[in-house]
Amino acid sequence: MAVWFLRGLRRGVITTRYPKAIDSWTASLPTPPAFDARRLTPAVADRLVDVCPSGALIRDYEWLVLDLGACTACGRCIAVSRGVARSSGAFELSTTERGRLIKRIRLRDDVR
Amino acid sequence: MQSLFGRSLHIRTIDTGSCAVCESEIRLLAAPHYDLHRLGFFFTPSPRHADLLLVTGPAVRAFDQAVKKTYLAMPEPKIVVAVGACPLGGVYSEDAFVHGSLEEVLPVDVFIPGCPPSPLALLQGLLVAVGRLAEKVDALSFVDDEAGTGEW
Amino acid sequence: MSREIEASRYRANDGVEYLRVGMAEVEGVVEDMTKAGTRLADLFGSMEDEELVIRLVYGREPEPSYAVVQWPVRGGGYPPLSEVAPAAFVEECEIYEQFGLKCSGAKGLNRLVVPPHAAPDFPRLAHRPGRQAPPPHAPHYVTGEAIEFPVGPVRGVGQESLYMGLVTSGEELIDLYLMVWHKHRGIERRLQQLRPQQALFLVERAEGLSAVGNSWAFCRAVESITDVMVPEAVERTRAVALEFERIYNHAASLAALCQATSLTVGQAQAEVALEELLRLNAAAFGHRYLFGVLAPGGVTRGPDVGVIRERFTMAVDELRRVAAALRSTNSFMDRVEVCGVVSIDDARRLGLVGPVARGSGQDLDTRRDHPYGAYRDCRVEVPVRTAGDCLARMEVILAEVETSAALVTELVQAGLRAGSVDLPPAAGAALGWCESPRGESLVWVSLDREGRIRRARLRPASARNWRAFDDAARSRNVFTDIPIIEASFWLTVAGFAR
Repeated sequence: MAVWFLRGLRRGVITTRYPKAIDSWTASLPTPPAFDARRLTPAVADRLVDVCPSGALIRDYEWLVLDLGACTACGRCIAVSRGVARSSGAFELSTTERGRLIKRIRLRDDVR
Repeated sequence: MQSLFGRSLHIRTIDTGSCAVCESEIRLLAAPHYDLHRLGFFFTPSPRHADLLLVTGPAVRAFDQAVKKTYLAMPEPKIVVAVGACPLGGVYSEDAFVHGSLEEVLPVDVFIPGCPPSPLALLQGLLVAVGRLAEKVDALSFVDDEAGTGEW
Repeated sequence: MSREIEASRYRANDGVEYLRVGMAEVEGVVEDMTKAGTRLADLFGSMEDEELVIRLVYGREPEPSYAVVQWPVRGGGYPPLSEVAPAAFVEECEIYEQFGLKCSGAKGLNRLVVPPHAAPDFPRLAHRPGRQAPPPHAPHYVTGEAIEFPVGPVRGVGQESLYMGLVTSGEELIDLYLMVWHKHRGIERRLQQLRPQQALFLVERAEGLSAVGNSWAFCRAVESITDVMVPEAVERTRAVALEFERIYNHAASLAALCQATSLTVGQAQAEVALEELLRLNAAAFGHRYLFGVLAPGGVTRGPDVGVIRERFTMAVDELRRVAAALRSTNSFMDRVEVCGVVSIDDARRLGLVGPVARGSGQDLDTRRDHPYGAYRDCRVEVPVRTAGDCLARMEVILAEVETSAALVTELVQAGLRAGSVDLPPAAGAALGWCESPRGESLVWVSLDREGRIRRARLRPASARNWRAFDDAARSRNVFTDIPIIEASFWLTVAGFAR
């Protein structure tokens, strides 16, 4: 048993300090997309909606509806968006209200 | 909730058709890196000792009875936490096999998105469930530069 | 073999040989194959033009080829293949559940994914219910001194749902049977009509802990239909992802073994190693469980070669130290030795794959036997043990960690990159295979003219290896050995039930 005890001592404390501080490795976690509102046109939005495998992106007239609950952070929308979408970096998304996970993003109808 | 469960809370898990990855993340909560015991959370093997039910998977219909029995066996007050995109309706749409959303089966108190939610996201969900941590998602914005002054 | 069968042979460009036979010849072909010692790898049905076609997949190791024997079912029934090749029994039950077709002979079948309380219209891949259907499954009685002790379907913390019926006379285990219909999500049915790119999302989630293994097999099937060549550096990236998956699964299996033997401190240390490996996955490929890394035609994410170079050896060393400490812990070694024995004969008879088979003397590994992708240019050492107990399986996975580590170093040296080739629309069918952490994963895909999936058959290694679990559990074990055996098998219910 001594072998285990010594190993534990040598390692020291490795437990996360969360929620007091967030570990730096979380930067590499997949996270839901965030959008560049200036370039989010209906055409781009349709492309993103089309590629979403989980139904987390829905087009509602002049809005793009992002359901963070359904989003699996697969990154497919980011891959086809040509820079309009990026990874948001937000992983602390827990909520008591399902509705709070639904974000509505206004599309712009012209490209400057 | 905080006065009731703020110091000690017992957790029971149930899998309603997950792909086994959420289970893996839940097991890791007890590992040295996360050590949920330091926060006063404990896993319990019986629903009768549980205050909180962690549910993974898209709520397979064939599993309804087991889910309901587990829920009923828990003493009041109880918290139901939906873990991952499956019980939140992200992976399976409703069909003859699955409900596609846990809310069809149980009253859900806390939602933890992610596929899978990382152990830290799970910890946040648990802390939100007992009212020890304020939720953040309301304040988060998923649009950059609405005013046209951002870094894009 | 008759002349007509010889005439119907043809070899597709992916190295798979197809044999089209008639109903009358099936039994003879199966007998010949079994006598020649050819391994039955899978058996499945598929509706094609209103006609049920059944396919048998044989692995012809050491020859680097698979053989697919197919025949259209005309009239009712087909010969009872499991009498000649016992490995076929689970699939015979499956074909009955999904297509309503029973093999001739009055053998009772087991329940797989259709729940006992299912309505007659419970969806299946194609089912034409008979007017007076006999009770579909074998009746189950326990009589005499024994009792049946149910465990599940809701089990311990962080364990998948699984119903185990333990038949016992007290402490000794006489029999054990499994029910997995609680987790059946109808994935094969859901895949129909999807495009391969969309389907991949579900293929990964059929068995999350083998996401890379199963999706690589799927991608290979699709790429062989569309005749796409993936660049070598991209294939190497896939191989690195697969070896990462193997190593973290083996670490998880080790942690589960410690948990099952109540070696809490060992479990904690193994979980430290596991967590380090998962963080490395995230840093190198952007996902802790490597979802979304592969795509039909290439690799979409990663890899960060710098991170791999910097942290890989350290993470594996962590695991090595845990393994060394475990080997010197007698209380642990006593529990895993002579526990859950799968005999060499059973392993061959039931067509087992992966570490479970390799722990029971089966020298099988698709990376070496049916080289694909980057493994064509690598030498893969295949560790084999013959004891067939939990210790043998543990030694196999520990040796495999070393093999994988060496492969990763070699592959990274040769250069990695992401990127993918567009798939041209093409119709056809093909078999894909891959050595997932749990063993050979097979995927058979058929695409229609619009490039949509007509039928996708997923056969993860878990679907294969669970059938040996009852044999292993029965072999002179007691109740408390079952979690140890389960940890050493390290299978998922998700992959079996799909």
